[in-house]
Amino acid sequence: MSTSKGLPKYKTREEVDFVIIGSGAAGGVLARELSTNGFSVVVLEQGHYRTAADFKHDELDVIFKNQLLNHPGWNDPQTFRRFETETAEQIQGEPPPAYYARGVGGSSVHFTANYWRFHQSDFKERSLLGPMEGTGFADWPISYEELEPYYSRVEWECGVSGQPGPFEAPRSKPYPVPPMPVKSSGVLFEKGARALGLHPQPAPLAILSKPLNGRPACVHCGFCMGFGCEVNAKSSTLASMIPQAEATGRCEIRPLSTVFRIETNEAGRVTEVVYLDADGQEQAQKARAVIVSANGAETPRLLFLSESARFPNGLANASGIVGKYLMGNGHSVTQAAFEHPLNEFKSVQVTRIVHDFYENDPARGFYGGGGMDARPFLDSTPILHAMTGLPHGKPGWGPEFKKMLRHYFTRKMSVLGSTTSVPLERNNITLDPNLKDDKGRPAIRMTYMDHADDLAMATFLQDRAVEILGAAGAQEIWREPVAGGTVQAHLLGTCRMGDDPATSVVDKYHRVHDVPNLFICDGSSFVSSGRGQPTMTIQALAFRAAEHITRFARNGEI
Amino acid sequence: MTISKSSRRNFLKSGGSVMGASWLAINLPLIVSAGETAAHNKESGAVYNNISVEESREFSALVNQIIPPDDTPGATEIGVVYFIDVALGDFMSSAAPMLREGLADLQQKTRSAYSNIQRFSELPFEDQTKMLKSVEDTAMFGTLHFLTLCGMFCLPSYSGNRENAGWDLIGFDHRHAWQPPFGYYDAAVHGQLPDEGNDHEHV
Repeated sequence: MSTSKGLPKYKTREEVDFVIIGSGAAGGVLARELSTNGFSVVVLEQGHYRTAADFKHDELDVIFKNQLLNHPGWNDPQTFRRFETETAEQIQGEPPPAYYARGVGGSSVHFTANYWRFHQSDFKERSLLGPMEGTGFADWPISYEELEPYYSRVEWECGVSGQPGPFEAPRSKPYPVPPMPVKSSGVLFEKGARALGLHPQPAPLAILSKPLNGRPACVHCGFCMGFGCEVNAKSSTLASMIPQAEATGRCEIRPLSTVFRIETNEAGRVTEVVYLDADGQEQAQKARAVIVSANGAETPRLLFLSESARFPNGLANASGIVGKYLMGNGHSVTQAAFEHPLNEFKSVQVTRIVHDFYENDPARGFYGGGGMDARPFLDSTPILHAMTGLPHGKPGWGPEFKKMLRHYFTRKMSVLGSTTSVPLERNNITLDPNLKDDKGRPAIRMTYMDHADDLAMATFLQDRAVEILGAAGAQEIWREPVAGGTVQAHLLGTCRMGDDPATSVVDKYHRVHDVPNLFICDGSSFVSSGRGQPTMTIQALAFRAAEHITRFARNGEI
Repeated sequence: MTISKSSRRNFLKSGGSVMGASWLAINLPLIVSAGETAAHNKESGAVYNNISVEESREFSALVNQIIPPDDTPGATEIGVVYFIDVALGDFMSSAAPMLREGLADLQQKTRSAYSNIQRFSELPFEDQTKMLKSVEDTAMFGTLHFLTLCGMFCLPSYSGNRENAGWDLIGFDHRHAWQPPFGYYDAAVHGQLPDEGNDHEHV
């Protein structure tokens, strides 16, 4: 595991064109695009610079010791509460409420890689459906049509396997490589869904079914969700974008660099980015412009930490809505067991999805929509299966427990329902007033409780999952209770984009309304949540942002 | 203790939290970072580094209650006690005092219930089960349960899951590459359409 790589090495006291904070799904794309377009770029990443050779099939280390999640240098805790009336607490031993990977490539390294494009409706549901009182329900300032070319670029340049589905919006190009080979969970899900008159389709995945762009095809090892890919078939920015950024000779990836402040001058412009290096020493990188791509929790935290006399509520927070309208996507899980072995521990998680319930339907009696997929979920690795994969209400130890472990591991699958999240001001990221990390930075405090409509939609999808699994011939079906989320891997909406500076943080080009050389591009830019798979849209936004930022820079408009 | 009481209550948050991220809301005792410990004490009969021989005897009985031997090996034979020895000297060291305290309580309870018995491990299997049911809601038992499952199914380099015996038990086959068909239900699909998945270029 290296701590630095390649050339160039920029001097911190010499101004580079761009500093990008974060090397994940968005930061990796922006680094590649801006360096390719001729700009000097420094990417500051708080985690390690791991590569494929560093990733292992070690469930204990990755899943239970949070190898890819932990801060590499020190303890960086978080707190959680459901409502603002409660006192947030750090719960020892639980996964962090804001659940993201640290390291070059960010969470695109460990993600499951479901890559659904948004539909046209996702960008304009407020206009289509009317207002929702007491919420931040709003249209995006851009349309699907404006974003479509960049979805195609993600599919071809990052690498997405798939084939067009029956409900998707118009596309300008086919997928570059065919869908992944179907698994038993996909076959059963498809059979059950068709029996009910639904329209199952192959899952689009950012995992290569065939070689593309010099990268190999998936070898179906099964250590996928939560793990880093050992052959670079998963289209993380670590595998796809970062090597191309470095190959330009103009992009320096600087790992083990934890940013804690963005400095501004009297004119209200960003001047430099202050961070702690691998040795805990304070450094500051000068830049002509800064792009924050730190994720929907770290981005607002950094903006709050960058407060000044000129920006007393935090940088970019003239509107007062930085950190607010956090959306995480609601979920429901339905487990099932079948007569014969599925062997879901092999290959990728998802091979079939159902989008029949994607759009809002007033007949349901609540707002929302969602997608469903078939997957092993927690049964893809043995320890998680033993802890979470067995039917409820049976002995948890002893002879019968052992028999169940032997019976169920190969015969299990789950259906995951993923839903919209209503944007609510009360769901947010703030600085914890009491808890700090080892270096004195206030901890991330998450306040989150799903809207009743989101939970209703999750339950609706679970009801459909039970029907589908029954129609597929499951011997046993059981439901995981639908409840408010306490751990969020999708960190969306906390610096939403919009045309009105009073109700948004960035404009449609990801430029902060009142700081001309500061841009924010990651999940925080979202105005609505989509239906549960946000990374495809995060990356399309990043490609689009890079094009406009390049134009501004070349025209002297930054 | 039922599934929902042990694996779930002790180690998992229920419901939505299992979902958001979330294949993983594990409610473990705090785990600190740790490197992989060498497996030099993996061989049967090797000396333990972090537990006494007497403790190893009690742990053997306890983990065999969780995964008992039958026509297939139990937890002890699969190496779980060696794994516990490694874990308590490494990433679970902070849990060691609590485990020892819980063990002492269990021995006290055992002596109170059976006047002629000194140790839990001396009890017949059925009496051990009865005794353990009285402490199954304790942190000691929850942690031991967690360690047993980790020791059953971890990489053998952690000294558990000897010769993949834990994986063999449940049908997990650890390889670095697979080709379709993967399971019973997709075999027919891939059989009819051999070009769909069997021509993958492995690296």
